[in-house]
Order: sequence, then C-alpha cells, then structure tokens
Amino acid sequence: MDAAIQIIITGLTLGAMYALASVGLALTYGTMGMFNMAHGMFMTIGAYASYSLSSAFGAPLPLALVAGICAGAISGSLLHLLIVRFMLHTEDFQTTIMVATAGVAIALQDLILKRYGAYPFKQPAQIEGSFRLAGTAISYQSIVIVAMAALLIGALAWLLTYTKFGLAIRATAMNQDAAKLMGVRTERTYLQVIVIAGVLASAAGILISSLAGLSPAMGTDPLIRAFIICVVAGLGSVTGAGLAAIMMGLFEAAISYYIGARFGLPVMLGLVVLILIFRPAGLFGRMEVVRS
Amino acid sequence: MDEKRDCEMGSSRRGFLKGGLLGLGSAAVLATLNESAVAQSADPVIVGAPLQLTGAGAADGIEFKQGLELAAEEINASGGILGRQVKIVTADTESGGDDLITSAGQRLIDRDGASALIAGYNFGSQTALQNVAADASVVYLHADTARAHTDLVSKNPGRYWGSFMYCPSELYYGFAFLNFIKHLEDTGQLKAPNKKIAIVTGPLVYSINIANSIKSDAAKYGYEISLFETVQAPTTDWGPTLAKLREDKPGFIVVTHFFPQDQAQFMIQFLANPTNSLVYLQYGASLAAFRDLAGDASVGVLYATNIGVLSGEVSEEFAKKYLGRYGAKASPNGGAQTYEALHLFAQAAALAGGVGKAYEEEQSKKVAARLKESIFRGPTGVIRFDQKAQQAFSYPVQTKDPSLGMAHIFSQIKRKEENGYIISPTPYETAQFELPKWMQA
Repeated sequence: MDAAIQIIITGLTLGAMYALASVGLALTYGTMGMFNMAHGMFMTIGAYASYSLSSAFGAPLPLALVAGICAGAISGSLLHLLIVRFMLHTEDFQTTIMVATAGVAIALQDLILKRYGAYPFKQPAQIEGSFRLAGTAISYQSIVIVAMAALLIGALAWLLTYTKFGLAIRATAMNQDAAKLMGVRTERTYLQVIVIAGVLASAAGILISSLAGLSPAMGTDPLIRAFIICVVAGLGSVTGAGLAAIMMGLFEAAISYYIGARFGLPVMLGLVVLILIFRPAGLFGRMEVVRS
Repeated sequence: MDEKRDCEMGSSRRGFLKGGLLGLGSAAVLATLNESAVAQSADPVIVGAPLQLTGAGAADGIEFKQGLELAAEEINASGGILGRQVKIVTADTESGGDDLITSAGQRLIDRDGASALIAGYNFGSQTALQNVAADASVVYLHADTARAHTDLVSKNPGRYWGSFMYCPSELYYGFAFLNFIKHLEDTGQLKAPNKKIAIVTGPLVYSINIANSIKSDAAKYGYEISLFETVQAPTTDWGPTLAKLREDKPGFIVVTHFFPQDQAQFMIQFLANPTNSLVYLQYGASLAAFRDLAGDASVGVLYATNIGVLSGEVSEEFAKKYLGRYGAKASPNGGAQTYEALHLFAQAAALAGGVGKAYEEEQSKKVAARLKESIFRGPTGVIRFDQKAQQAFSYPVQTKDPSLGMAHIFSQIKRKEENGYIISPTPYETAQFELPKWMQA
C-alpha cells in the first residue's frame, strides 16, 4: 500500500512537471509548426529569474514566482519579435526554425553560465516539510508542484476553449489561411502562443529547480522528455500532451519501482518507438492536427 | 584485490625511497631552484586544463579551475618554472564523453600550445586524455580515481609514460568502506539493526565500480547486499527507490551515484520518513553544493574521499587561503586537487631542467621521471606514485605509513555550514563518529 501511494505521488509530481514542460511545446508546434529548441531555455530563464529576485533582493516567494513566469513570457516574446517572425514565411520554416532556436538556446545557456557560473544554487522558491498519508511521507513541495501545474494547465484549457482568444489560436492551428480570411491576425496569435509557452515553461523550470537546484543546462533533460511526450501524445495535441505527461510520469514511477530506476527512460523511449509504429499520429493525435 | 597486490608489487618502499624526492613545500623548493636559474625563454609555460566547466560535473570543474589559478599565482610569485611564468588555459569538456574530452585536450595542445595537461576528473571512459597525452608526448596529471587508468598504464607503460593519476583508483572505496563500518561495529560506536547493505549506484563507471567492489567483498566482512539499485542521472524524485529502501530496512545505505544535487534530494526525501540506517554518500557530500542544497538534511551524513583536504598545518593553511579567496561556498576538497597537481608538476619540471614541448618527448620524459620519483605533501596528503600503474598509493589501504600514501578519509557532516569532520583514519581525525539523529541508539 505504501509503495502504491509512493508511486502515485512520484508519478503525479513527475507528470505535473512534464506536463508544464510539454504543453507549451505542443501548443507551439500545433499552432505554428515550430519545434522550439529554445523551449528548455525558457525553463532555465524562469528558474534563474525567480532565484535572482528572491535571493538577491529578498523578494517574497509569490513575487519571485511571478517574476520568474514574467521572465519566461518576456523571453518568448523576444524570441518571436527578434527571430521567429522574420522566418515565418521562409521556405522550410519547420527545419530552419529548429536550427535557429537551437542556436538561440546555446547562446542563452552560455550567457547564463557567464553571469551565474555553474554552481548548482538552491532555488529559494520552495516549501519545506511533509505530511503523512497512510504511512507514506508526502512533501508539501510535491503538492505545490501538482497544484501549480493543474492551475496553469487548467487556465490554459479554459483560455483555449472558452475565449475568443483561444478560438483564434485553435482556428490558426487548424488552418492558417482560413483563419486569416475570418479576420484572425495570425502573426499576433503566434506571438501570444510563444508567450504562453514561455509562461508554462518558466513555471516548469521554477518547479524543477526546486527539486534539482539551478544549473545553466537544467532545461536540457526536461526538453528531451517534453519532446518524447509530444510525440507520444501526437504532435500538436495540447490536451494529449497534458494527459500523456501524467501517464508517462506514473508509468516511469511504476517502472522505477517494479523493474528498476534505470529502466524509466529507456522504457519510455521503447514506448515511443512502438507508438510511432502502430499509431504514427500519436495516442491523442489526428493526422489533420499536424500542419502540412 | 588483484590491483591492490599489483600496486604493492609495482614499487617496493625501499626501492622508492632510494630515488625518492620529498616535497617539503613546493613554493620554497621552486624558489630555491629559480634563484640559480636563468630564464630559458620569455614565453610562458602553457598548462592546459581540460575541465568540466558546464554540465553535471561543473560544481567540481569550477573548483578545479580555481585550484589551478591559485597554484599558478603562487608558482609565478616564486619565479615561475625556472624563470618562465605559468599560464593556465582551460577547455570545457562539458561533463561529456570521450569525444568532447578528447577534442578539448587536443585543442589545448594544438591551438593553445600546452606543454602539459592537468585536470581534476572527467567523465567518459577515463582513458581519453591519456591517449591525447601519449600521442602528443606531454605529461598528463589527473584525479579520475579510475581503475581504467591503472589498467591502461600498467599494460602499456611504453606508450603512457606521461600519464599520472595523483590519487588512488576507485576500487579502494569498496574495501575501505567495509573495513570502516566493521570497525565502527567492532568498537561499539555503532549498533546497526542488521547486516544488510542497500547499494544505490548511478550510470557512470566510477559509481558502478565502487558499488561492485562493495558488493563483491561484503560477504567477506560479514555483510549481505539486500538491494542493488541503479538510478539515472539526474534523479530528482527518489520516491520509488526510497519505497524499496523503506521496505528493505537495511542497516546501511550506500549511495555511490555522486552528483551533489541528486544526493541532496535523496537526503531531503529520505528524512521525510527515515529508516534506521547509516547513510554513506560517495564523494558528492564532500562538496559545499551538497550542504547548500540539502541544508539540515546534510547533518549526520557520512562520506569518504581518497583525495580530500586533511587536518594539520599544510591542509588547514590551504583551506583558509582557498576559502578566503573564493568565498565560503567554495570547496577546498575540489580545488586542492589541481592546486597540488600543478605544484607537483612545477617542482618536477624545475628539477628536470624545464618543461617539454608537445611532440618532442625527450624533455617531457625527464619531467615524467621526476614525477615518478616524487614524494609530495599537498593539502590532501602525500602523493607517491606506484611505479607500474602511475597512480598514487592509498593510505591505509595500501600502505600503513601515512607519510607514504594519499589518505582515504571518512568524514561526517556535523553542521550544515561547515565541511565534514574527518573521523578516520588516524592521525588525521578531527572528531568522533556520532550516531546520526535519525538512527536509534
């Protein structure tokens, strides 16, 4: 019983962090056909911004969290305004934007390294302590991680489903030309999408760094997992990415307990291969979701 | 055990002392040599440092860089190496594998003109830089703590004459740990609830070799391995592994996965519902980053290193100087490694008549010969090389004389603000073992 609760808690914690990391990536791909290789850097920037405000200026925890998320949003908008918008209509956009954003990620990582060094600073934005549930210790930080992921992803789902703003994003994702004809300003929609991705990723970065500490390369591992989750879910499927992230978190925790901790990622990768063979569009994807 | 025997056979104490060279304060020795020297060249001596300045091993890589900088300043203040100033050039190995490590080493030699390579440890197969050094005929000093080095050099000394590991290999951690816990139990300092040892290792060769060496010898010391788990790197959520440990309830938990960030999370999550187990964390807990991240959860943890700053005048003076220069968050244990390696190299090069040039082996071979003869006392103990494997001897595992081997120290963290206190071996201990607060007496 204790083990089962532990697996569920670990799975939900991992899944929540994966979800925040992957939903923004899925949204960007689904709307713009853009695989953002700098997505991991949004996480890093959010984590460092939160750390800087909290430790250097003594800002309270909520303010530091908000600052980190704002830093992610600003990073997203700058990426769009300075690079993406100039490449949107170029030939082979999907390929060239991957290379361009990979370059941005490398440059940003080096800048952070230069500014902060590689010392694994402790993220002040965390809550210490734990409580017991049927004999299993559950940390308050895990609860915060799950709650924050649920809040942000819930807000995104509401935004996409019930607002005109969300309708514009969905319309653009379905058919860019048709959306334009219906009066949607698609370029502004793209900017909004990248900002949302930046917000979610920076929140993920803050939460991940609360467990792992800060490092300039901290976004790399979550980015790889986010890519895996997006492929499993179906490229561009936002809801699917959220659900797949939770499933993968639970799956990884169960594999770690029942088979061995080292098999978590290899089994996940094996699963991706199987899904690509038997369901090329992913578990939740439809072929038409993917822009041609 | 074979390696232990090989090392003992590789160099007799009598044979070594015959040609031995005692390093009683490298700066003073260098200054004396420099007094009578005429500068051989106005060009600085370039020492290449292939270090992991980014990625998972960066916490240590930064310390290694700082240690080199501090040593270079001291050497230059003493007149350099026979009048030539020492200049450190670093190349980032990115905590990566052999491809990145090799290219970093090669760049330092071919682009920067390095006359020697000095590093702390790098990841990969831990044989990459030996090959770079052998191809370029330069001296290479490192602290990989790797059996891979001893195997490589022992089997082909004609090729790897210039590669030296200035610490013992990781295999000694196994015997030393088992010996240590048995001693704690035999002397009544610890009454473990059972003889079970749970081992948690990581994906890197260093961690796996230590875990395997404990596993293979446990029965000889009267212990059984009840759990052997390999985790990924990084591991931030230890839930499933801790669930297994809590079911197993071992008397001893050994974590050989050595990343300080991951070890810190292990302790924080373990202490939420601890078992009555002695916790030993390999190496990572010796770094300030571990205490910084784990906070109160770091107190009571045991760790060991076979290349850590000792007690006593030489070591304490270094630690004070290092912390004064780089701040309270710096780790003298890391910086001391490259610090003493550069001092050792400078002294050997001065005695050999100067440093060599890449691809011209004659002078570098003279430096290597001097290194092989040296007995050098640095902040982490005595570096005396086994003549066959070109690794430092371990005290007390290989030699019972503390003046002839690098001390394998066990430490316990007593306060989160301070480095751990050495609790073994004699004569370096600074405190007694204390039962961790989560264990029952």
